Amino acid sequence: MSPEYSELLRQRIAEVIARYPKKEAALLPVLHLVQRETGSISPEEEKFIAGILDLKPIKVREVVTFYTMILRQPLGKYHVQVCSNLSCTLLGAGTIIDYLKEKLGIEIGQTTPDKKFSLSTVECLGACEQAPCLMVNFDYYGNLDKERIDRILASLT
Amino acid sequence: MVKIFIDDKELEVSNGLTILRAAEGAGIPIPHFCYHPAFAPEGSCRMCLVEISGLPKLELACSTVVREGMKILTASEKVIEARKAVLEFLLAEHPLDCPICDKAGECKLQDYFEEYGFFASRFKEAKEKREKKVQISKNLILDRERCILCTRCLRFLSEITKTQDVGVLNRGIHSEIAVYESNFIDNHYAGNLAELCPVGAITDTDFRFKTRAWFLVKKESICPMCSRGCNIFIDSHPGFARTPLAQRVYRIRARENQDINSFWICDFGRYHYSYIDQGRQERIVLKKEAKDTELSWEKALIILAEKVKSLVYLKKKSRIGVILNTWLTNEELYLADKVFKKGLGLENIYVVDPPSEKGDDFLLTEERTPNRRGLKEVGLPDLTPDLGKLALQTDLLLIFGTFLVGRFSVTELKSAFDKIGTKFLFAAHKSALDSLVDVVIPTPLIAEKGGSLTNVNGKVQSFSPALDNSLGLPEWKLLIDLAKELKINHKPFWQLSSPQAILEEMGRGIPFFK
Ligand code: SF4
Ligand code: SF4
Ligand code: FES
Ligand code: FES
Repeated sequence: MSPEYSELLRQRIAEVIARYPKKEAALLPVLHLVQRETGSISPEEEKFIAGILDLKPIKVREVVTFYTMILRQPLGKYHVQVCSNLSCTLLGAGTIIDYLKEKLGIEIGQTTPDKKFSLSTVECLGACEQAPCLMVNFDYYGNLDKERIDRILASLT
Repeated sequence: MVKIFIDDKELEVSNGLTILRAAEGAGIPIPHFCYHPAFAPEGSCRMCLVEISGLPKLELACSTVVREGMKILTASEKVIEARKAVLEFLLAEHPLDCPICDKAGECKLQDYFEEYGFFASRFKEAKEKREKKVQISKNLILDRERCILCTRCLRFLSEITKTQDVGVLNRGIHSEIAVYESNFIDNHYAGNLAELCPVGAITDTDFRFKTRAWFLVKKESICPMCSRGCNIFIDSHPGFARTPLAQRVYRIRARENQDINSFWICDFGRYHYSYIDQGRQERIVLKKEAKDTELSWEKALIILAEKVKSLVYLKKKSRIGVILNTWLTNEELYLADKVFKKGLGLENIYVVDPPSEKGDDFLLTEERTPNRRGLKEVGLPDLTPDLGKLALQTDLLLIFGTFLVGRFSVTELKSAFDKIGTKFLFAAHKSALDSLVDVVIPTPLIAEKGGSLTNVNGKVQSFSPALDNSLGLPEWKLLIDLAKELKINHKPFWQLSSPQAILEEMGRGIPFFK
């Protein structure tokens, strides 16, 4: 095991593993725990987790690459996740996404050079009633239009 | 047992059987990609959909278990339509590069499409571009555009080798088979994947772009590289415009035998075939004062028989030595026993085999020769010669095979052989022994002759020639000719004219071979 993970993290991982009949079953919660500490799951983390759960690293990577919530690269301070699913798209998510790209000067999946913003598209955020919508880190913003985007971005410092 | 109906055929099948297996058992094939009899059903490709009376939707034949009275339709309109649809989806992202694909001609996707294809494409969208040349092991290349994600490869590596070298990364249309970083598939059964992959997604660099599947003649044989005796196919090119000794064998494939090797063979057995076509002895040669004279077998036989007779006549038969090996078939070892030990009463009979190497806990055994068990059952002693002693006590030496070369240095062999009057070598390959002996007689390989071998667990397996051999007579034939020439034993035994007849004769004398 690499030494640079905190004692607290190791302790919480042990607790999570204890909850399941098979170590492998703890993979998702462990990924979240580790990501909370490191910001992302790099190959280093994959191997660390594989070691703890007695898995081959490829098994960890399967899960890491399946879920968009598990990040493979550290993101900017604010992770802007725009919904691109049906309701949002019907109500103009396309325009919202284009506007964000233009404003931030980055493509989907990229981070601004000052590491402030990262932009992704995500599937239904479960907030269709305020479509089109997005999330910044853990906060929801709905009924978007260009002005609202300007205001949101300006408020994030 | 339950009673079911498949396409109007009434069948009694065992409980717990899947529809696909029950149908196959009754000779009704159901198209499938992800299903493979060695693994638990996966149900991912949807190719095996069938109609079951009373059920609103089509069901998967590979994973639906039969029930009493089930009425299954495998060729109804609905089923055919479903097959067309599944193929249409599978091909939506397929590069259609069959003309340069090694699997073409034996590809399930191609075959099924030929039968059920929806020929006009309805897709206007551009296809995804994916990597076409991802190395995933020493010999294997993955083409992600051709992969249909049936996960057979993944399941082989988790269920059979348990090495879990590959995974499915990403999701949806971006899913792909991958190894971890540069960790190649690292087990010596990986070669099976190119066969197991139902399409041309995994190809073998050993075979890639060398020939086309439809040119190959596919014959059954037994792998001689260790004592497991895996059942194999030898695929050879009959060759238009091929010079007589050019490459014949293009690949070795596993042949199913549930008692021995299931569906698999090891990479050692798979990739070691160049020996079949390389460095072969081509003529019977008499070597005299550094001059080679070509002989017919009849002539060589007379010379050999005269030598033997004169030593026997002079009561010097203890000065005749024989070196056998266990690449010889049961029949040949039996005849060697009959002629040399029982017939002539020789005592100096030795065995020199390829050296043992590390085996594994799956198929590959330590004994890197196919018939040591046969030697034991025939009742021949397993003695390794002491070269120094052999040199002093021998005037005539008959050597079968070239394995002495691996065991002793050429200098050791030369100094011993210089002291021995006459040496006959029966060998398939050229070797350092050639210049040390007086007569060289070419022999065929296991791939080129018939006979039987006894594997490590005592299983006797008969085989027929997979390749023709115009280079030499099989040892069993040579031994019978020698027996006749020396008038050894009774007549009926001289008349044995095939390995099968010899094996039957053996069965009468040795219960093990019955
Ligand atoms: S590489 Fe072949 S065996 Fe593996 S998932 Fe793709 S199609 Fe199936
Ligand atoms: S396990 Fe032995 S017999 Fe089977 S393929 Fe390998 S070398 Fe040949
Ligand atoms: S589709 Fe965007 S929140 Fe449901
Ligand atoms: S063979 Fe049944 S789903 Fe693939």
